Amino acid sequence: MMTAVVYEWRRLWSVRATWVMSVVYLGVTALLGGGPLYLGDTRMGVQTWKGLYSTNGNVLCLVMLSVVASQFFGHEYRYGLIRLTLSEFPARERVLVAKTSVLAAYVALMTFVGWSVLGMVGALAPKGSISTSGVGLNISGGQPSDMWQVLVFGFAYCVLAMSITMITRNLAMGVVLPLLTATLIEGLIQGFSSLSNGKLDWLVNALPFVNGNAWLGKAPDSPNAGLIFAAWIVGAYLIATLSFFKRDA
Amino acid sequence: MRIEVLGLDKHFKNVHAVQDLSFTVEPGRVTGFLGPNGSGKSTTMRLMLGLDNGSGQTLFDGKKLTAHSPVTRTVGAHLDAKFFHPKRTAYSHLRMLGAEAGISKARVNEVLQLVGLESVAKKRPGGFSLGMGQRLGLAGAILAEPQVLMLDEPANGLDPQSIQWLRDFLKFYASTGKSVLVSSHLLSEMQLLADDVVVIARGKLIAAESMSKFLARASGSAVVVRAAEATRLGELLHNMGIESSANGLNTLTIPNQTTDRIGEVAYANGIKLSELSSQTASLETVFLELTDSGQEYRLGGEAK
Repeated sequence: MMTAVVYEWRRLWSVRATWVMSVVYLGVTALLGGGPLYLGDTRMGVQTWKGLYSTNGNVLCLVMLSVVASQFFGHEYRYGLIRLTLSEFPARERVLVAKTSVLAAYVALMTFVGWSVLGMVGALAPKGSISTSGVGLNISGGQPSDMWQVLVFGFAYCVLAMSITMITRNLAMGVVLPLLTATLIEGLIQGFSSLSNGKLDWLVNALPFVNGNAWLGKAPDSPNAGLIFAAWIVGAYLIATLSFFKRDA
Repeated sequence: MRIEVLGLDKHFKNVHAVQDLSFTVEPGRVTGFLGPNGSGKSTTMRLMLGLDNGSGQTLFDGKKLTAHSPVTRTVGAHLDAKFFHPKRTAYSHLRMLGAEAGISKARVNEVLQLVGLESVAKKRPGGFSLGMGQRLGLAGAILAEPQVLMLDEPANGLDPQSIQWLRDFLKFYASTGKSVLVSSHLLSEMQLLADDVVVIARGKLIAAESMSKFLARASGSAVVVRAAEATRLGELLHNMGIESSANGLNTLTIPNQTTDRIGEVAYANGIKLSELSSQTASLETVFLELTDSGQEYRLGGEAK
C-alpha cells in the first residue's frame, strides 16, 4: 500500500499546477483572512477561519484546493496516465485508497500551513489593530474540535470535487460543479423557496452546502446538518468508486 | 515468464471487439502481435493488463497479474507515446513510475541514458516529438527490468536508426530469457524482429505460431532451381508426385517444397545444380493473404 501512496505523492508534487494552486491558496487565505481580521479588530481564531470556508464570497479558498483535488483523477484521464497507473497497480482499490489518503494529507497540510499564514498576517498587522494572542497554530477560544471541523469540511469539499471528476472524467466539472452549487444553485433554490411560501423548505433542508455550513456554524436548529452533508459526500464518493471499478480505464 | 491468454472476450456496445482469444507468449522470444487497424490488438493488450473489463483471463507464469509483487518487475507496458503529463519532466515521470518497485534515482538516470533522453531529462515532455514520446514510454516500461515487456506500436514515429536500436534492444532483452510482446504495423520490421507471431482480425485469432511456420503458409512459398538438366529434374519430380513449373531457361519453380528435399533428389540423380534457393513470401504477403477478409476499415471501398 505504501508504494501506491509514494507513487501518488510524487504524482501530486511533480506538476507545477499543484505548487501554483497551493501558493494561490495561501495567498487567498492571507488576503481574505487578514482583511476581516484587520478591519474587525477581533482575535484571530477558529471562527474567522470557519468564515473563510463557509461564506459564499470566501469559498475561493476551497476552489484552490478543489482544483488540486480534481487533478487527482482529472490529469490521469486527460493525459491517459490512468492506464500507466493501473498497469502499475492493477488492484484498483489500492489506487483509490492511495489517492484518497494523499488527498486527505494534502488538505491537512494546506489547512495547517494556511493557519500559519493567517498567524503571520496577525503578527504583521500594526500593533493594537488586532489581538495577536491567537496567532499561528495556537487555537484560540479553547475549541480544538473546531479546527477538526474546518479540516473535515475542507476534505469533504475536495472529496466531492474528486468524485465529480471521477464520474465525469472531466477536471473542469470537478471544480465548477461544487463551486456553482455552493455559490449559485443553492442560493437560487433558497430564493425560490422563500417565494413559494415554504413549499420547498424540504428541498432547502436537504441541500449539501446549506447543511454543510449549518454544521460548520453549529446551527442549533439543524441537529442533523452534519449527517445530511456527510450523506451527500459519501453518496458522491460511492457513485464515483463504482464508476471507477466498473468502467474501462 | 510465460504468458497464457485464455478466452479473452470484449464487447463495445454493438461491436464484438475481441472474440474468445487464446494464445501464449513464450519466454526468451519476441512475439509479434499483428492485425489490421481496428482488429482489437490494443484492446487485447488492455484486457491482458486488466485495464478494460471483459471476460477471460491472462496468467503470468500461472498467476494473475494482481498476484505478482511488485507488478512492475513482472510486466512493463508501453501502450501509447503520449501517456505522460506535458508539464511533468521526463525525470519526474520516471521517478513516479519507479515508486512501486522502489527504483533508485541512479536507475532512472541510467534508463534515460539508455533511451537517449538524458539531455532532456529535466525538460517537460509537452514539446517532445512522437519519437521522443516513444522513447520515454519505453523507458517507463523497462525501468524495473520486468520479466515481460508489452509494447503497443513502439516503432511509430522512430527514425531508422532508432528502429534499428529498438530491434536490437528487444532481441537482446528476449535473449536474457524474458518475454516480449510487441504490436506493430511495420511488417518488414516485424519480420526481422519477431520469433513468433500472433495474428488477429476482427477480434478473432488467425494464427499463433513461429514466424517461419507462419511464412510457410503463403501460397507464394517455393523452391527455385537452376540447372542445365532442369527438364530431366522436372520429370523426376513429376514422377515423385511433386509438381514444378518452368520459369525461364533451365529454371524450375517448385511450390511448397524445401531446398533440402529438392537438393536430395538432384544429388541422388546426379544432376548438377547452378542455383538452389527458397523463394519465401514476405510477412506482408502472408499477412495480407490471411487478414484480407478481416479488415475492419477498408480503403477505397465499403467496410466488410
